[in-house]
Amino acid sequence: MAIGSRLRHVVESQQFSRALLEELLDRAGDMKAQPHHFSGRLNGQVMAALFYEPSTRTRLSFEAAMLRLGGRTMGTDNAREFSSAAKGETLEDTIRIVSGYADVIVLRHNEQGAARRAAAVSSVPVINAGDGPGQHPTQALLDLYTIRDEIGHVDGIRIAMVGDLANGRTVRSLTYLLSKFRDIRISFVSPPQVAMRDDIKHHLDEHRVPWVESEDLDAVLPQVDVVYQTRIQKERFSDEASYLALKGVYRIDNSTLARMKKNAIVMHPLPRVDEIAPEVDSDPRAAYFRQARNGLFIRMALLDKVLA
Amino acid sequence: MSTVQQGRLKATVMDADQIRRSLSRIAHEIVERNHGAADVVLIGVMAKGDHLARRLADSLIELEGAPIAVGALDISNHRDDRHLRVPAHRGPSEVPDIDGKVVVLVDDVIHHGRTARAAMDALMDFGRPRAIQLAVLVDRGHRELPIRPDYVGKNVPTSDSERIEVLVTEEDGIDQAVIVAV
Repeated sequence: MAIGSRLRHVVESQQFSRALLEELLDRAGDMKAQPHHFSGRLNGQVMAALFYEPSTRTRLSFEAAMLRLGGRTMGTDNAREFSSAAKGETLEDTIRIVSGYADVIVLRHNEQGAARRAAAVSSVPVINAGDGPGQHPTQALLDLYTIRDEIGHVDGIRIAMVGDLANGRTVRSLTYLLSKFRDIRISFVSPPQVAMRDDIKHHLDEHRVPWVESEDLDAVLPQVDVVYQTRIQKERFSDEASYLALKGVYRIDNSTLARMKKNAIVMHPLPRVDEIAPEVDSDPRAAYFRQARNGLFIRMALLDKVLA
Repeated sequence: MSTVQQGRLKATVMDADQIRRSLSRIAHEIVERNHGAADVVLIGVMAKGDHLARRLADSLIELEGAPIAVGALDISNHRDDRHLRVPAHRGPSEVPDIDGKVVVLVDDVIHHGRTARAAMDALMDFGRPRAIQLAVLVDRGHRELPIRPDYVGKNVPTSDSERIEVLVTEEDGIDQAVIVAV
């Protein structure tokens, strides 16, 4: 029987135990501190990036992670249009074939559940880089890493998740990860039209994580360590007027910062539109560009874990 | 760092449906052998058996309509090779009252039988069960101790140059048993 934890596929946030999360975060921290120590770790290994829908940042960050570990990458940005998928080949067949060429497959797909289907037939590790409205576990991991890196710990934090909570898969995936830690308190701040869905609330209740719902961001701000801002998605609203009325409500600017704790941080999965004013960027509490950069280190840690 | 090389996957020996059916059958066999499940306590050997034990418990609850005690056992301090390599501690054992109960130990794979021996040893620290039975998802043979599982999901003949890996959704994102070349 196997001794020591290993990781074959990365399919969804729920699969990570607290021990494995700690190991990955520590590893990512080492890689951030001393990247040159790891430059030859994955010499001779090949990563295939199979992207059925475009995502430039996720793809570049995975490729950069593999290259910085000494591995090589190949892939396609439009697997759906140009590959044999257009000729009718199933995802399963494509994965069987690509897993004969590569040592790891990074998959971005438009259908929920695609990563699990791919993992079931792949002879090499599959890493889910987003499957439709389903999961984006590596984003959740980099969010978690950012919280620990910026605040110093995850246990005991107070976090406000702000904006479109019904449709934002990043806040959903992050909530799953936070439920594995102790003494977390979550405030969901959103218009009622896009409130956090019940499945996540039930999950939090099961794991005894206290949460509250509020429409009043100003009241929540002085209490929290993390403000996780998301984009209000215009396409979810039936008329322009109600979208315009809501999108400004939770805009973060200097007056928002004035209400926040001195050591709190503002996070955002990016891209932002205007829900964070550019004036916020120069405040040390604006963590979102550092957060994006952390994606590199957490993906290095993941690739290292599944391949080294 | 992981002490297990990732290894190249050679074949899938059980997919998600087969695992689900095997666990369902084992749950029925447990009920049949013990004339119900009133005195049965399920104890999973960490770090895969505990997930399988919880799933078996769900099946038994469904079959018998009564709650089932379920626990998890960290056996690292009872391994017979702990003087040769530092064992990985999986976390604190959580064992309900086992005095006078029929304990079904649950693990993912049985190979030499040494983990099962360690598990029985570890269990005795917690009480005196009336009987211990053993349920495994995969029996890959090559026993080195006089131990035989009572409930087996699938017998899979293997060679020494292979390893059986059981993936569970709770930790691996998918349910699958695979043969890996070491």
